[in-house]
Amino acid sequence: MSIIKTENICKSFGSVDVLKNVSLTVEPGEVVVIIGPSGAGKSTYLRSLNHLEKPTSGKIWIDDKLIEDRVNGHNQVKLPHKERAAILLEMGMVFQRFNLFPHKTALQNVMLAPMNVKGVPEKEAKEKAVKLLNQVGLGDKLDSYPAKLSGGQQQRVAIARALAMEPKMMLFDEPTSALDPELVGDVLNVMKELAEEGMTMLVVTHEMGFAREVADRVVFMYDGAILEEGSPKEIFTNPKHDRTRQFLQSVL
Amino acid sequence: MNAIQQIIGWMPALLQATGVTLALSVTSVLTALVLAVFLALGKISKNTVLRSVCGAYIFFFRGTPLLMQLFFLYYTLPQLVPAFNIQSRFLAAWIAFSLNVAAYLAEIIRAAIQSIDKGQLEASTALGLTHSQAMRLVIIPQAYRRMIPPICNEFVMVLKDTSLVSIIALTDLTYQTKIIASNKASALVYIPAMIIYLIITGVFTVIFNRLEKRLSIYE
Repeated sequence: MSIIKTENICKSFGSVDVLKNVSLTVEPGEVVVIIGPSGAGKSTYLRSLNHLEKPTSGKIWIDDKLIEDRVNGHNQVKLPHKERAAILLEMGMVFQRFNLFPHKTALQNVMLAPMNVKGVPEKEAKEKAVKLLNQVGLGDKLDSYPAKLSGGQQQRVAIARALAMEPKMMLFDEPTSALDPELVGDVLNVMKELAEEGMTMLVVTHEMGFAREVADRVVFMYDGAILEEGSPKEIFTNPKHDRTRQFLQSVL
Repeated sequence: MNAIQQIIGWMPALLQATGVTLALSVTSVLTALVLAVFLALGKISKNTVLRSVCGAYIFFFRGTPLLMQLFFLYYTLPQLVPAFNIQSRFLAAWIAFSLNVAAYLAEIIRAAIQSIDKGQLEASTALGLTHSQAMRLVIIPQAYRRMIPPICNEFVMVLKDTSLVSIIALTDLTYQTKIIASNKASALVYIPAMIIYLIITGVFTVIFNRLEKRLSIYE
């Protein structure tokens, strides 16, 4: 029983291989943190899980259901659109640049998808959104537009927005990389709480403190491939690979 | 004073012609807007045929003078296809302007839609919105605001370009002014005519600015 499983994911842009046979499994409730230098393919891998990138080849299972089996860029798995959409909804995504809807208030940002995708009645969607925004510490910013919020606040709205769809797992694509240093902590705290509540999380980040403290497993990617994976303790205190050691030396 | 009395005497005719200018500009731009939305969506669609058709349309109407398009519609077309003999000058002008302005507005709309950060579409997709929902709820509402200034610009241009209809003898403000100038042998009439144009463009600029402010509350 795995919640995310990928087998030999490859992705090339022209002659450049961005992902080379990436195989990874994430169990329910697990927090897996992907680290590695820029250009290692971390974000591309994460984005290929929920269709924002199309792998060139490889297989993806979500919740034990095969949704992609790509050969030469073509998906061999033909699922009805509805079924595929439902499976993709099991993943919530948080972006590096938040991508909040600027013309909607914090509250409206969180309510939009439940109302329009799931058909949740407005009143119910609102109650839920208020609860989620309180949970991320923004109960007093319900009617603020994103432009009036700090980066850290925007990212917390974005987390609430993803959670409003009640995903089974959350994908975080460098959620704190675009933030001022003093705002990083608030976002990480929200993520930590989420992890403690048992949410399955796959996180691409450069926050080594978070990886060490919260991750069940740390995955090191380099040049489009997974070089090694293990418990935070193994990776941080006794990395097997020279590349891993070099990378950790440069960021710690 | 004689000059002022003269000008006041011309006002009823000028104002009536102003009505024609205004009606032609407003109806043309409104019709063109509807057409332009489809052209713009066609031009950014994934369908190659649709994209080429819309591209060709825009290429043609932007690539030939409006004056010739007007001539073509009013004089050439009836000669080629008698069924297309448009009797009403206003109707002919309205069709020509709508078709022409649509090409320009389509490019404005397309540019506005494509200027929206692609992260918006990604976030929408990740939240499960369909492409059309994302367009309707996320992309287009943001694009509106960016369209307003260039549409305002286009409208002001159209308002002045309608003076071209004098060549098919439609009595708009410019044509009426010319008639008065030659009949009364007085070039003074150009003064009130220009002031009327200024007042109209001024009023519309204020309206568009208000609209833009109202749509940018979130920024």
